[in-house]
Amino acid sequence: MALHSALKGKLISVIGDEDTCVGFLLGGVGEINKNRQPNFLVVDKNTAVSEIEDCFKRFVKRDDIDIILINQNIAEIIRHVIDNHNSPIPAVLEIPSKDHPYDASKDSILRRAKGMFNPDEVL
Amino acid sequence: MVEATEDLDRICNTLDKLTLDALSLMEEEIQLKLIMENSMCGGEGHLAKARYIMGQSNVSFLQLPTENSTEFSAVTKVFTNEEDKLYGEKSFELRVVKKDEDETVHDPLKWFGYLVPQNLNYAQNMFRQALQWAIEALNIQTQLRETVRKIEQLKQVKANIVLK
Repeated sequence: MALHSALKGKLISVIGDEDTCVGFLLGGVGEINKNRQPNFLVVDKNTAVSEIEDCFKRFVKRDDIDIILINQNIAEIIRHVIDNHNSPIPAVLEIPSKDHPYDASKDSILRRAKGMFNPDEVL
Repeated sequence: MVEATEDLDRICNTLDKLTLDALSLMEEEIQLKLIMENSMCGGEGHLAKARYIMGQSNVSFLQLPTENSTEFSAVTKVFTNEEDKLYGEKSFELRVVKKDEDETVHDPLKWFGYLVPQNLNYAQNMFRQALQWAIEALNIQTQLRETVRKIEQLKQVKANIVLK
């Protein structure tokens, strides 16, 4: 039983700019499944916010995707959708991009963890 | 009354410990993401060199498969480790799927041609390293999420005791 579940790997999906997607797809995470669905989205300046939101929601619904890598600057655009995603699977990891270095203060998970240090709650 | 005070002390000690754990996990996650950023920068540098050699449009999203391409499976997949649980949550592990396990996998370098500059190979290695760091960061994030959940639960219990 454990061996069977160990054989069924899950996918890492990517929502990022061109270099991020090309790079991680070179790394081997890309897949086109039998429904012709890719597990990545290249976001450029012409990509609509609704398209990014819909793609994120599609990846969350898919049961073959366990991880969503998303550039932090793109995560900022759909912050409200990411903040509403509370389940541990698929896990969302905000990653830096070529033009936007990593900023810990914008990371959803770290902001939530920082929020527990609220001086009003000290009893 | 004495019992309530003892319980409160125990809860406060546990909260202190969990808070320190959360802080060190946050620091660890940030460090891992910065290391990952370095790997990605290295990979992007090699992609830029490959672009310089092969041409701008020959190393771009145009080479990536689309919905009209033939189906293929991912080479690099993630497996959850059922036995090794961190703080009660499953941990992720990165593994490369071999051709004999799944015939539809192939080397993504082939999308860029058969004779590609070494820079594309180096870029591939750097992004593979970045993926490893990403999985490590994700495992730490899972631990952090669980620790924060426990802290919030204990704070609630503490608030209930204090109100009594």
